Amino acid sequence: MVTPSIETTTVDVLILGAGGAGLLAALHCHDAAPDLSIAIAVKGLLGKCGCTRMVQGGYNVAVDPADSVERHFRDTIEGGQWLNDQELAWTLVTGAVERVMELENRWGCFFDRAADGRVHQKAFAGQSFDRTVHKGSLTGIEIINRLAEQVLARSILRLEDHRALDLLPARDGNGMAGALLLDIRRGVFRLVRAGAVLLATGGGPSMYRYHTPSGDKSTDGLAMALRAGLFLRDMEMVQFHPTGLALGPATRATGTIIEEGLRGAGGHLLRADGARFMTDYDPRGERATRDIVSRAMAGEMRRGNTGPRGGLFLSMAHLDPAMVRRDFRGMVDRCADLGFDLVGGLVEVTPTAHYLMGGVMFRPDGTTSMPGLYAAGEDTGGVHGANRLGGNGVANSTVFGGRAGDTIARHAVAGAAPPEPDPAVVEAAVTAAIRPLSRPAGDLYHHRERLLDLMWEQVGIIRDGAGLAGALAELEEIGAGIEATGVAGGPLYNPTWQDRLNLGNQVLVARAIATAALARTDSRGAHYRADHPAAGPLDETTHTVVRLEGDRPVAGLCPVAFPRLRPPPPGCIGGAA
Amino acid sequence: MSGPDTALPDTALVVDLWRGDAGGGGLVRYRVPVDPGQTILDVLTWVQRHAEPGLAYRFACRVGMCGSCAVMVNGVPRWACRTRAIPVARQGRLEIRPLRHFPVIRDLVVDFEAFFARWRRALGRFAPASPPPDALAVIAPDASDRQLVDAAIECIGCGICLAACDSVGANPDYLGPAALNRAWAAVNDRRDDTMGHLRAAARDGGVHACHAQGSCRRFCPVGRDPAGAIVGLKRRLLVAALKGRL
Ligand SMILES: Cc1cc2nc3c(=O)[nH]c(=O)nc-3n(C[C@H](O)[C@H](O)[C@H](O)COP(=O)(O)OP(=O)(O)OC[C@H]3O[C@@H](n4cnc5c(N)ncnc54)[C@H](O)[C@@H]3O)c2cc1C
Ligand code: FES
Repeated sequence: MVTPSIETTTVDVLILGAGGAGLLAALHCHDAAPDLSIAIAVKGLLGKCGCTRMVQGGYNVAVDPADSVERHFRDTIEGGQWLNDQELAWTLVTGAVERVMELENRWGCFFDRAADGRVHQKAFAGQSFDRTVHKGSLTGIEIINRLAEQVLARSILRLEDHRALDLLPARDGNGMAGALLLDIRRGVFRLVRAGAVLLATGGGPSMYRYHTPSGDKSTDGLAMALRAGLFLRDMEMVQFHPTGLALGPATRATGTIIEEGLRGAGGHLLRADGARFMTDYDPRGERATRDIVSRAMAGEMRRGNTGPRGGLFLSMAHLDPAMVRRDFRGMVDRCADLGFDLVGGLVEVTPTAHYLMGGVMFRPDGTTSMPGLYAAGEDTGGVHGANRLGGNGVANSTVFGGRAGDTIARHAVAGAAPPEPDPAVVEAAVTAAIRPLSRPAGDLYHHRERLLDLMWEQVGIIRDGAGLAGALAELEEIGAGIEATGVAGGPLYNPTWQDRLNLGNQVLVARAIATAALARTDSRGAHYRADHPAAGPLDETTHTVVRLEGDRPVAGLCPVAFPRLRPPPPGCIGGAA
Repeated sequence: MSGPDTALPDTALVVDLWRGDAGGGGLVRYRVPVDPGQTILDVLTWVQRHAEPGLAYRFACRVGMCGSCAVMVNGVPRWACRTRAIPVARQGRLEIRPLRHFPVIRDLVVDFEAFFARWRRALGRFAPASPPPDALAVIAPDASDRQLVDAAIECIGCGICLAACDSVGANPDYLGPAALNRAWAAVNDRRDDTMGHLRAAARDGGVHACHAQGSCRRFCPVGRDPAGAIVGLKRRLLVAALKGRL
């Protein structure tokens, strides 16, 4: 039996997560209210975790005089298939202009320039204007490096190698009391008392067989929000990127992204028999949008037209090798390191789960339904609707992270004693986290394989009612299996224990996704129901909401309002994709 | 079904992993089945999932972007997620140790605190002397200063240059290649206060502590040239000193 040891830290503000959302929240909050004591917790090292760091394509923003925020807004709503919360989407496009300026002039990001010396903006799928600001194809490294070094220079308490386990509402039901964390290095629990808590752990659909997010992301924030009684919206909206590496289960590189630009530059997708297939599905062929290409690939894979690792093939061999080497140097190098040739050979690829459009319901200023709890970034839902435009993800996390920081700076009072947490809630969270260490060790990774395969097969790119209902039953069983599994290795920096805690959260959020997907009986954006293939009337659009009832996720439907832009009347829509 | 592709002895790597903590430790041997695509990170993952659940190792992005995963492999600092195991094994053997010049936390996990403290001491951040304008600066992409910045940024902060650097081994106060490379980017950034960054690079433990052996450049996994950055800083400092501006 392991006896838990609990240490207490008291601050004014606790930020959970150090991606684009968490870092900007910390900087804004600190600079607006320097007297506030701020702690920022991150599962690994500050500046090295999360997906903002991994942004390749870039950042959408209407800064060209020939572009406009209204156009960016329309693209975002049409891309989101009218499901977006329009106030959030409007805040995104207007806030992006301010934030990109700030990233350059206040934090020192140095984006690429066009020949005339102005910031270069490139094309990204689904947009009516070339508005994606970038730094080569490593935009996220530039953004996170510049933000992290600013945080390092300020008196902000860094809780690195600390994972948040649960939110702690105030004992008297009035606001937030903080959160329970685990110091991964020392195996010690840390009760952080704070009256203001920001949830910015970055969502991430890492419970699919193929997925792109970094290894530290396991939907912890969404699971914590569910357990705390919050509502999540649009959880059925899981974005799949068409080209992830299919290298088999023996490598963690499986599922990671092969750049979208390769298809844009003329790359072909091939079946195992060497034939192209995308032109059978869409006149744009491989250049069709993410959802269409992913769905076509999933269909081909279900029919078994696959290579040795279960994927299809990307080929650049018919193109100018010098062009491929020059324009995609990073990808060519990465493939070479992993042992294959992107320029002249075949690369086995599969669609891969990339982004959760759904998440915690929140307001443009970062507040949620729970006073004292704020949310920003990929943990939130409503900004993107049914589909996120490439380039709107990092805009989302940086715009709303900064805004949440500003709001907290206005609300929080330096040195005010945070409300008391409910000791029973603390104890329950500690017990749940430590339990696996005192149970006999089981085959955790067998449960993980089952979860990832089931989500891929039944709650993935192509869904239907029977499959989803079956998946829900099986997910409950997998969840119970995970719950019963103990781990060996002790409490100190034990990655297997961390995986066990990750899986508990992933299976809960998986159930929320399947529940929402079963509730939505139409097909929009990333959500495709083979038994309900039509989009349904746009002007009667509803969004899903999921919350926990007991320990079971339940779904409801709410109408979407159109305060700024109304959908076209029936009959007027072209192939809006 | 018993296939021939499972862990036959001659299809296994012999992997010696350093296990321990700040108080000490030693090598422990594992046999890891060979897979042609497996990286060093995959070798560590296999050991953790199948043999040693408590094996401590670090990674995040899996693709060479975060700089969390560097370890010593057969004596050489490498990024675990982008290094395939078979090409770097010696006669089927791998010896994996924590990154040199970093304090150990546990097993292969090291403490980056001092690494980032150096970054901070080198004024490794954007610090313009006056508030910047409300517009995006117009800067030609082929201007020589911009090109110097481009060559220096995109460092992933993996710590490999510091692990490879003998000067830092001899002088722990030395700011080291990564922090000075950051300073060099700042010195060339016309939006920034270049003199402020230059002064920080000149302090004790700054550029003059570098013995110009060039290991940082040789081992950098993302093709940066910290050695060149340090030479550039020394030259700029000399010019500034001659003009009496330091
Ligand atoms: C490979 C890849 C490429 C992408 N490319 C683009 C692109 O080109 N353009 C674009 O707009 N978007 C892109 N995205 C999406 C974009 O990265 C995300 O939308 C966005 O950056 C998320 O920011 P965030 O701050 O919400 O989360 P993240 O940046 O993911 O940060 C989450 C943070 O929370 C921490 N955390 C997680 N769980 C816990 C816990 N329990 N306790 C404490 N801390 C925790 C993590 O360690 C991390 O620090 C890409 C994503 C990926 C994976
Ligand atoms: S895990 Fe990110 S660089 Fe290796």
